[in-house]
Amino acid sequence: MRKLNSYENSRAQFARAAKVIPSGIYGHQGPAEGCYIPVEAFPLFSDHAQGTYFWDVDGNRFIDYMCAYGPNVLGYNDPDVDEAARRQAEKENCVTSPSTVMIDFAELLVDTVDCADWAFFAKNGNDVTTGAIMCARAYTHRKKIVFFKGYYHGVSPWTQKVDYPGVLEEDVMHNLYVDWNDFDQLAETFERYKGQIAAVIAQPYMHGNFMDNQMPLPGFWQKVRKLCTDNDVVLIIDDVRAGFRMDLAGSDHYFGFQADMICFCKALANGYNVSALCGRDFLKNSMSSLSYTGSYWMSAVPFAAGIACIEKMKKLHMPELLIEKGKKLKGGLLKAAADNGFNLHVTGIESLPYLRLADDPSLHLHQQWIAECVKRGVFFTNHHNHFINAALSDEDIQETIDIATEAFHVIREHMD
Amino acid sequence: MTDAVTLSYINLYAVLGALPKLCELVPEASALVKGKPVSVGFAVKGGPHATLCFQDGGCTLRDGVEGCDILLPFSSPEKFNGLIDGTVTPVPRKGFTRIHFLLKEFTALTNLLTRYLKASADDLKDDEFFTRSTTLMLYVVAAAVCQVGNHDAIGRFSASYIVDGTIRLSVHDGPAAVISAKGHKLAVDPTTPPRCTACMEFSDIHLARDLFDGKVNAVACIGTGGIRMSGMISMIDNVNRILDRVALYLA
Repeated sequence: MRKLNSYENSRAQFARAAKVIPSGIYGHQGPAEGCYIPVEAFPLFSDHAQGTYFWDVDGNRFIDYMCAYGPNVLGYNDPDVDEAARRQAEKENCVTSPSTVMIDFAELLVDTVDCADWAFFAKNGNDVTTGAIMCARAYTHRKKIVFFKGYYHGVSPWTQKVDYPGVLEEDVMHNLYVDWNDFDQLAETFERYKGQIAAVIAQPYMHGNFMDNQMPLPGFWQKVRKLCTDNDVVLIIDDVRAGFRMDLAGSDHYFGFQADMICFCKALANGYNVSALCGRDFLKNSMSSLSYTGSYWMSAVPFAAGIACIEKMKKLHMPELLIEKGKKLKGGLLKAAADNGFNLHVTGIESLPYLRLADDPSLHLHQQWIAECVKRGVFFTNHHNHFINAALSDEDIQETIDIATEAFHVIREHMD
Repeated sequence: MTDAVTLSYINLYAVLGALPKLCELVPEASALVKGKPVSVGFAVKGGPHATLCFQDGGCTLRDGVEGCDILLPFSSPEKFNGLIDGTVTPVPRKGFTRIHFLLKEFTALTNLLTRYLKASADDLKDDEFFTRSTTLMLYVVAAAVCQVGNHDAIGRFSASYIVDGTIRLSVHDGPAAVISAKGHKLAVDPTTPPRCTACMEFSDIHLARDLFDGKVNAVACIGTGGIRMSGMISMIDNVNRILDRVALYLA
C-alpha cells in the first residue's frame, strides 16, 4: 500500500487565501466548483510542475490528468515553447504597436485550421466565445442563440443561466436550449424562431458533467450544418476544451463538417495566455466591425509560444499521440475496474477521458474512488473530463493503473 | 423579484408548516395545544389550501381543507401573506364555536414560532434556544426550497435541472432535512432516509446558522471543510440556486 498524501500546508495556505480572496480559490480550480470530495483528499495549491507532473506545497507529486484544465498539452515547461517565449520576451511583449509575430500566428492558424480564413486573438476561452456571438449577431442582425443543454461556453452573463447569481433575466432572454443530439428539436426551434436565430453554439461533442460524455450521432453534425446554412444561421464550434486534442484542423474537421467560426484556447500555447477565434471569410467584415479588445490581447510572448506549440503539435501528430496514450489509460482502467468487480465508464474521445463509476448512480462511490486515487498521487477530478498530455509516459500510465487498482481495493473494503 | 403566490406557499408550507416541528422541539409549544384537538384550514384563492391538525400536543400539516374544524378563507395570496406579516385579521367561514382556539392557543403558538424564527440576540445566547431555533430554521429552509422550486419562475428553472432523487441537508451529529425530487417537483421527505442521492452537511450548528443568516458563503465553506457535499452535486448546485431565491422571500 502506498503512503497517503497529507496536505497541512495546502490547508494553511487556503486559510490564508480565504481571508483576502473571495472563496479562497474561486472557479473551476477551487474546491467547490472543482468538486473536491472530500476536500481533505485534494491538494489546494501547487509549488512547481514539470512534464506530466505537478508538486503541491506539501511536496506531494501528482500525475496530473487535469493539465491545468487543458493548457498543458505538451508537458509543463516544454523546452521548445518556453525557448520561443523567452526569445520573444527578450525582444518585446506588451507594446503600443503589436509585434508582427501576431501575423505569423494568424497565418499559421489559417494554414492549420480547416475553417479558418482569419484569426482574432484574445486571452481566455470566454473572450472568443463572446466575440463569436457578437460577430454572429453583427452579421445576422438577429438576437437568438441556440445552446445544447449541458453546455459550457464561459462565464460571461450570456453563457450563464437565469438562476445564477449576478445574472439578469435580460442577459439570457435570447438563449434557446435544445437537447444534445436531438436534431428534430433543433429543427423545430429553427421553425418556431424563424428569422430570429443568429447562431448555434456548441462543443464538438457533449462534455457535460455528472453524466457520461456523448459523441454526436452519425450524421448529426452534417444535418445541423445544412440547417444552419439553409437558415442563414452562424454555426460556432466552441473548441476551447477539445481543440487540438481531436484534430489539429479543428474538431469540426474531425467530425466531417465545417464550422463558420471556431474558438480555441487551452491547448493553443501550452500554458501561455492566449485564445483565438478563427472564422470564415464571409464573417471577417463583421468581426472587424466589433468594438472588442483588451489590454493584453496583443502581447507578443504568448503568440510566439503559440506558434512553437502548434508547430510541435504538428510534428508530434498530437491528436493521434494523445488518443493513443488515452487508449492505453482507458484500457488499463477498465481492466482494473472489471478485475475488482466495478463498472467503470470511460467516455468521450480518449485524449479527453471522462470517468464515471456506474455502480452507484448517486456518484458517492465514484467520489470515494477518485479521492483514494488523489490521495495516492494521481490527480483525477470527480465530474469533469480529463486531459492527456504528450509528456505522459507508459510508466506514468502503468503507475496510474496501479494506483487506481489500489483505490478500487480500498473502496471494496469499505463496501464490505 | 418575488411573487405573492410563491410567498403564500412558503408562508403556509414552510412558515406555518414549521408548527409541527415547533411542537416536537419546544415543550412550551406542545403544552399550548395539548388536549385541544382541532384542525385549522387555510384556503387561499389562487394559492395553497392546507390544514393544520392539532392532536395530543402535536401538530401535522395536510394538503386540502376538507373536514377541517375551522376554515380561514383568503381572497388572494396577498391577503394570506398579510396574515403572516400581521396586517390582515382572518375571518373564519366555519368553526365559530372554536374561535377561542384561534384567538388564544393558536395566536400564542404563532407568537412562539415568530420568537424562534426571528430570534433576538438575547434569546440566542441560550444554547438550547439556539439549537432549537436553528433546527427549526433548517426545516423552514428545506420546505421553502420546495415551494420556491415548485412555484417561483426562476426557482422552477433551477428545479428543471434537478434529477430524481433525494437531497439531504444536515448538521453533523445534528438535525437533518431531506428534500425529494421527482419529475422536477420538490417535496420535503419526512422519512429522512439515511442514504440520499446528494448530501450537504454543515460541520456544526453555528455554521448552519451563519449560512441561514447570510453571514457566510457556502462556496467558501466548502473549501474550509465547514460544509461537506457529496453524491449528485448538480442537485446541490441547483438547490443552492433556489436557496438564493428563498433568502429573497424570507428576508
